[in-house]
Order: sequence, then C-alpha cells, then structure tokens
Amino acid sequence: MKSARLFVLTLSVGVVLHVAAHSTVVIADDSTLATHKEPVVVAVRRLTEPQYRQSIEDIFGEDIQITGRFEPERREIGLLALGSATLSLTAAGFEQYFNLSLDISRQVFSEQMRHAVMPCAPASPAEFDRVCAEQFISTYGEQLFRRPLSSAEVEARLDAAALGTEQSGDFYTGLQLALSSMLTAPEYLFRIERAEPDPENADNWRLDAWSRASRLSYLFWNTSPDKELLAAARSGELHTENGLNAQVQRLSSSPRVQDGIQAFLVDMMQIDGFDSMIKDATIYPKFNQLVADSAQQQMIRTLVDLLVVKERDYREIFTSNETFLNRPLAAVYQVPFASSEEWAPYTFPDSAERSGIFSQIGFLSLYAHPGTSSPTIRGIKLHEIFLCEHTPEPPADVDFSSVVDSSAATSRERLLDHMSNPGCIVCHQRSDPPGLALEHFDGMGQLRKYENGQLIDVNADLFGNKFVGAQGLGQFLYNDPRASSCLVRNVYAYGAARMPGSAERPYINTQIERFAENGYRVPALFSQIALTPEFFNVVIPQGAQQNTNNVASAASAQ
Amino acid sequence: MLNKTKINKALFVSVTALMLPIAAQAEWQRSYVIEWNEPAMYFAGEAGIEGPGSDCPQGVNPEQDWVDVLMRAGYTREEAEWLRNPANPTRSPTHGQNQMAFRGKDRANVYVNPTSYPDPGLYPMTGNVAEGLNLDGNTDTGFVSPSGEAGIDNTFYKTLGCWKTYRGPERLSSGAMQFNDGMRNGSWTMVIVVSGEGDDPSNDDNVMVGFYMSQDNMVKGGDGNISPHYTYRIQPHARYEGLFPARTVNGVIESREPTPVVLRDPGYTRDLELLQAQIKLEMKDDGTLRGYVGGYRPWLPVYQGWVNARGPVIESLTWVELPSVYYALRRGADYHPDGSSEENTHISYALRVDALPAFVMTPDASEVATQVISYKDQAPPLPAESGPMVGRSRIIDGLVIDPNAEYQAGPNAVILPPR
Repeated sequence: MKSARLFVLTLSVGVVLHVAAHSTVVIADDSTLATHKEPVVVAVRRLTEPQYRQSIEDIFGEDIQITGRFEPERREIGLLALGSATLSLTAAGFEQYFNLSLDISRQVFSEQMRHAVMPCAPASPAEFDRVCAEQFISTYGEQLFRRPLSSAEVEARLDAAALGTEQSGDFYTGLQLALSSMLTAPEYLFRIERAEPDPENADNWRLDAWSRASRLSYLFWNTSPDKELLAAARSGELHTENGLNAQVQRLSSSPRVQDGIQAFLVDMMQIDGFDSMIKDATIYPKFNQLVADSAQQQMIRTLVDLLVVKERDYREIFTSNETFLNRPLAAVYQVPFASSEEWAPYTFPDSAERSGIFSQIGFLSLYAHPGTSSPTIRGIKLHEIFLCEHTPEPPADVDFSSVVDSSAATSRERLLDHMSNPGCIVCHQRSDPPGLALEHFDGMGQLRKYENGQLIDVNADLFGNKFVGAQGLGQFLYNDPRASSCLVRNVYAYGAARMPGSAERPYINTQIERFAENGYRVPALFSQIALTPEFFNVVIPQGAQQNTNNVASAASAQ
Repeated sequence: MLNKTKINKALFVSVTALMLPIAAQAEWQRSYVIEWNEPAMYFAGEAGIEGPGSDCPQGVNPEQDWVDVLMRAGYTREEAEWLRNPANPTRSPTHGQNQMAFRGKDRANVYVNPTSYPDPGLYPMTGNVAEGLNLDGNTDTGFVSPSGEAGIDNTFYKTLGCWKTYRGPERLSSGAMQFNDGMRNGSWTMVIVVSGEGDDPSNDDNVMVGFYMSQDNMVKGGDGNISPHYTYRIQPHARYEGLFPARTVNGVIESREPTPVVLRDPGYTRDLELLQAQIKLEMKDDGTLRGYVGGYRPWLPVYQGWVNARGPVIESLTWVELPSVYYALRRGADYHPDGSSEENTHISYALRVDALPAFVMTPDASEVATQVISYKDQAPPLPAESGPMVGRSRIIDGLVIDPNAEYQAGPNAVILPPR
C-alpha cells in the first residue's frame, strides 16, 4: 500500500511538470496583440479557499473531504477579491495544492465513489481505455477549467493516464494522475479570464463567453459555472441580451445566491481574522475561541438574514437591532438564551445600545487591542469598510506612549492629548469620532458606562456632523450617501476584480441611483450590475492601446 | 470556514424567537450556577495544604506502613511484602491489591465488614472553629464560626477534618479539587434560582430558593475559570432538587424553616441527602452567591461511597484505613430522624457553595425561571440501580474483580506462589 502511494506521488510530480509544459495560457503582450487577434489573458484571480472547496463539492459531490491548508489571501483596497487578482503561488503553497490534488483524486476514484463519478466504464479495469479516459478528462476538465480543454491539454492528460495505467496495472490509478494534474493546473487554481476580438467591432475586445460564465457564477454562487451556464457559454447565448437575462434570472433566483452574496458580504465587511484574534484573559476572561467563532457567525447570520433572506434596505445594517445569538454570545451580551436550538433570532432592546452590524461584538472585538478598546482602529475600519475611505499608515516617528497608557482616564482624553500633535490630527479628526461613539463597548464589545472610574462620553462630531453613541452613529451612516455608493462600487469590484476607473464614474453613479430606486436591496443590485455591459468590461494589458481602448466594452450584442 | 448548513437551518427553519415572557408571581429573581462546592472544612493550618494547625495539631493522618498493617492482620512478613511489592508480577489488582481487603477477623473483607477489624483511629480534630450552620438552633453546642457565630453544627468536619482528602485551604484539598474538576468539566451542573415577593431583594420575608440540575455544561473562559452569565435550562430530576423557604436579611438568604432535600454531592456518594436542611447564602455586590447548605446527612452512604470507589485504591491514595472512617462517622453521628431507633444515623454537615450569576430557564427554555417550584413531576424515572461502577468496571464489595485473572484475592487465597 505504501509503495503504491509512493508510486502515485512520484509519478504525479513528473506528470504535473510534463503537463504544465503543455498548458496554453497566453499572456498578452505587445507583439501578441499587434500581430494576432487570438484570445488574450486579461485577468488571473486565484481561487479563494471557499471557492476551491465549493467547486470540488459541486463537481465531485459533497462526500469529498478536503483536508489541508491554503495559502493566505491578501486584501487590496478593502477587498480580498481585488487581492486575489495579484496573488501567485509560493512553492509551499503549491505543495499544499499538490497534496490536496492527490487526496481528492484518491477519493474520487475510490471503489465507493468511482461509479458515481465515471461517465463510462473501461473495457478492463487493468488496462488503459483511451475512449473512456478521454470522456472523463473532457467532461471533468471542462468543469474544472471552466472552459473546454484544448486538444493538447486533453492529450497531455491522456498520456499521463496511459502511463499511470501501464505502470500500476490499474486504469483508475492512471486516471488519478490525470485528475491530479488538472487539479494542480493554473487553469483550475486560478480564474483565468480571456478577452477575444469582438466580431461586431474589429477594434474592440470582449470578455469571452467562458470568462463571462465564470464571472457570473462566482458572483452569484461563489463557485464554478454549472453545466447549464457552461452550455450557455458554449452556445454563445451569454453574448446575447436574452441569454444573459435568462442566466442572471436563473442564478439570482436560486437559493444558492445566498452563498454568493454571503461571500461578498464576508469579503467587503472584512469578517475574517477571528482565528487569530487575541484577547488578554485577565481583562476579558469570558473570551475564548468559541466566543470568537460565534461572533464571526453572528455578523454573517445577521447580514445574510437582513439583506438576502428578508431583502431589507441595505442601510438598515447600520440601524437594525435584530440579530442572532447562541449560548456563548448571550453570555457576553449578558442576556438569557431562550432557545434549545444552537442559534436563535434576537432583538436587542434600546437599553443595550446595539444598533447596526458595527455594534456587535464581532466588529467591536476584532477592531480593538487585546486589552483595550480602540476608537481609532474602529473609526478607521468604519470609514474603510462602510464608506470606502482608506486611512494612510501613521508616520513612523509618532509617540504613542500617552495613548497606550490604558490606566489613565478615558480613551477620549488620551486621544485628545495625542491629537495635539499636528502631524496626527489630520487623520485622527476623521477616524476617531465614529470610534469614540462606540466607546460604551470595551475591547471585547461588552457594554460599559465607565472607564477607569470616569463616565464615558460617547458624543461625536465628525466635521460638523454630531451624533451620540452607536445608535447615533448608525443613523448617521444610514443617511450618508457614501455608504450606498461604497457598496455599489464594491459589488462591481468584487465581481470584475478591479475597482471601476474614473471613466466609469457615470456608470457607477447610474448604478447607485438605480440601487436607491430599487429600495437599496442587495440581491437586486447584484442582478442589476450583472446585466449591464460594463460588468463584462475588460482591461487590455498595457501596450495594446494601438489596437483598442484601454477599457473595452464586451457587450457588443447589447 | 462557516457551516452553511447550520446557517441555513437557523435562517430558514422557524425557531423560537428570544422573546422572554416573565412569569408574574415573583417580584424579583436572581439565578446562579454553582461553580464550586465542597464540604465546609475549616482550615486552620499554619502553612501549606496539609500541615498542622490549631485544628489538626498533628497535621493529616500520615501514610500507612501497609506491610505493618497486613502483618497486624495476620499475614506473615513475607506475604505482606510480597503483596506490597510493585515489582511482584502477581501483584495484580485482582490478586495483590484486592487482597488488601481481606484483613478482618478470619480474613473478612474489611470494607464491607469494617467491624471485623479493630478501629485503627483517625487523627482527632481539636479546634473549636468550624464553618457551617446552626442546625439545631442551640448556640450552646457546636463550633464557633470564623466570624464568631456560636452553635455551628458540623460534626462531619470534626470527624474527618484531619483526613488529607478533606484538609486544605478552600479549593485546594485533594477531594474538593477532584470532584469540582469533574463538575466544571461537564460531569454535572447545578443551578440556583432565588425569587422573592417583596420590593427589596436584600430584605424580603418571602423568598424561595431552588436548587436544580441542568443539562447545560459550564463554560470556561480564556482565564480557565467558569464564565458567568451563561444560560442554563433546568433539567427536571427525580431525586436531585432542593426547595428552601427563606428570607433575606441585608442581602443574606437564610432558611425560614428546615426542609429535607437531596442535592448532587461533590463526592463519591453522589446523593447529598440532607434532613433538616437549611441555607445561608450571601448575595454579594459583585453578583456572585456564596454560603452554605447544611443539614444532617446519613453517614453510612458516605462511607460506602469511599468503599465503592475501590477500597484498596482509596486507602493507598488517601493514607487512611477505611474502617477508621467507618468508626469515626458512626462515633460522630449526631442525629436521627424522629421515630427511628435511638442510634444516630445522620451526621451534621455543611456544603460550602460558590455560585456565579447565570440565566436559568424553564426546562423547555421558553422563559426565565422566575418561580421556585418543583419540577420532579416532569422528570424521567431514575434509571434502575446497576450497582457501583468506576469507569466501565463494576465494583463488588469495594473491589474490581477480574474473573479471568489467574490469581484471585480472597479469604483463602494462596498468597505466595509455589517455589
């Protein structure tokens, strides 16, 4: 058994290297664009861990166990989706993907599962069956690569499968190698978007149909395109208005749209980092990892219920006191948990001062220090997440000593002292007021009225906008038009993997207006954006300006 | 990552909203979870955990010379040393260790026939200070409390206070740590509900206090201590429940009248059956509850609890001969129910209780338990008695018997192997 595994491992390494040489990723450069009108790669986005997992589950079934570590992701301009377009793979990361590919392939071709997966049966399980192998590679290759495989790509996997069968004496062991090579191919691990010449306008490029299918599928379902969407790409329907409408209608009306919108909300609201959150146990003894995990889930459940299930006004995330609790969270909020279920809906009373997603312990504890609250961090994150306003890093030579002395007075007084530094006031006068309004919540998000024996003042003044406490801050954000425009820009950027440029400002403004006209409903916003030609715009790599505009419309059919 | 199935279930399946209907009768309510409880054994040691003090001038009972013990029981030195030698391959639990039981008259099992063995004695507890309650209302008898209250009845402490199992500062005796660790790690949970009818919770003549079991485990925070404010559902139990008519005086809950109760014992006995039970619990400013539950408990089950925890193991670990515990409890017993024989069958006892603020719900979790009532009629029947067990092993006469063992302990066992 051990020797068989070693054989598969050894052969797999060779196969992956061999097949990689046959990959047909074309990166556009000046010469390519100038002399050919072949499809060019316009974006490469690494699959996130949830996308990887969901894709495998959708393609091979939910019984596949995926046990492994994934490369860390990177957030750019507030979104992991934007960071994914700049990520590559480290050697260690590839090793993890490689091990995952072996493990998944082994499970797929286990005796229990192979019959459900295989589209055909080999003439003999001990010999290589080229027809059957090609059928498997073509069928699953298209689902994994999110486009049909080229003949060279199929041939490379057939060679691998034949070699594996020959050396192992087992057809399925041979196919394991072929599948493993597809699972480690950049075409699976990365969403590779291609542009093709627009047949209706020789000077324009458009996103090809397969890339359009992926863009839609990951936006709405956060997974690979299903067979119906791939068929629509194959037939060219996705380039037609009716075809696009039909697919968007289908995707957005499926229960799975919750997965897609949830993935976006988790990304935009930065609901991550709970695994590594640290709190000083002597100051916050109730904190443990169970509380941290629960706080993360609470934010997600609250947002999904409000925005997807109930399809309420997006701005209510700043004012709603409706949420979900489990037993650990109820203990931190100091309310009874009146349910025998694991989670139950709950409405905070006014006295709890909880108003909006930012007044939940998830946000409040994530954006605080291990032993104290932090009005500055909370304010910076409020601006960044909800208003798309980013704060520069502080200068390297700032003296933080008066701010970090948590035994003295209240945070407000410590920060006022800090702001006397003219180099600091520029940012702090913007970042601190919203955070100071949240000072009734300690570094773990627990309600308090006093700090170091002094009554905490939660009045805030943000450039003349005055509000009090979390409820006042929530109302301020509810009324601030920057919040809804931030969301619209983020939905576009999340789906297209790039922030809209200045030339697209009129388009974004139109979307913001339509978002408001539709009652600020997020699911409707997703469909609204996906149905616009601009959603499929491509940015042609540098050097191609002589052939086309920098941002080219792809929806020639509309 | 997050479990989407669970999220969907919570979102789409109708669940009971956390609306909190409050029953109308009680004007005020407090509720707690017991995070620590142990026999109230006042510690007057000068240092350390087991050292001597005014209560136990000689410290704790020292470790026995078990070879000497066995020789006094009639074994030859060679036999005794053979049985006590850990290197002896036949000194298996079923042979060597179990043989420790058979040292009574005619090699009777001293655990189930302790009177077949002369009283080895325990170190006497000589102090006059003890924790607990004045159970009989007589201030001329009993101990003086650490705060100077006279008439404290706690003969259990007087009897076993110098046994290393019970001796030590609060939370540090080996017995207290063993059983409270089990409780805090999920073996059982007891909650307390206090409800009153007056306007001032600190001074209310009509208070009821309920002790209930809960199926919800306590949860530890990052500092390793039990976290307050968790929610616990009352688990109706056919045996473990205590309802105390009480009053509050300056924030201290005191019994209005004694009552019989059975609580979950933090010890091998499991049943803490108390006659004439009373409470004295202080509702502290930090929200915690601390004090005593006292009463007269039957002493024989206490002894049997130790026997059923495997007599030889208990003797080895706690350094006393179990018959001495039997004799001491019987000698110290100071109460018998009216109408029973004149022999005292019960011993005055106090349990020290530390409880944290918690939310206690009715059994269906639909509302906060504001009324102190009995839930016994909702309890499933108690499981049939299966005899004492330790882990998966059945205890017979204080011993774990392996019927397949080559050598068996017993009155007629051949101790030394053939040469």
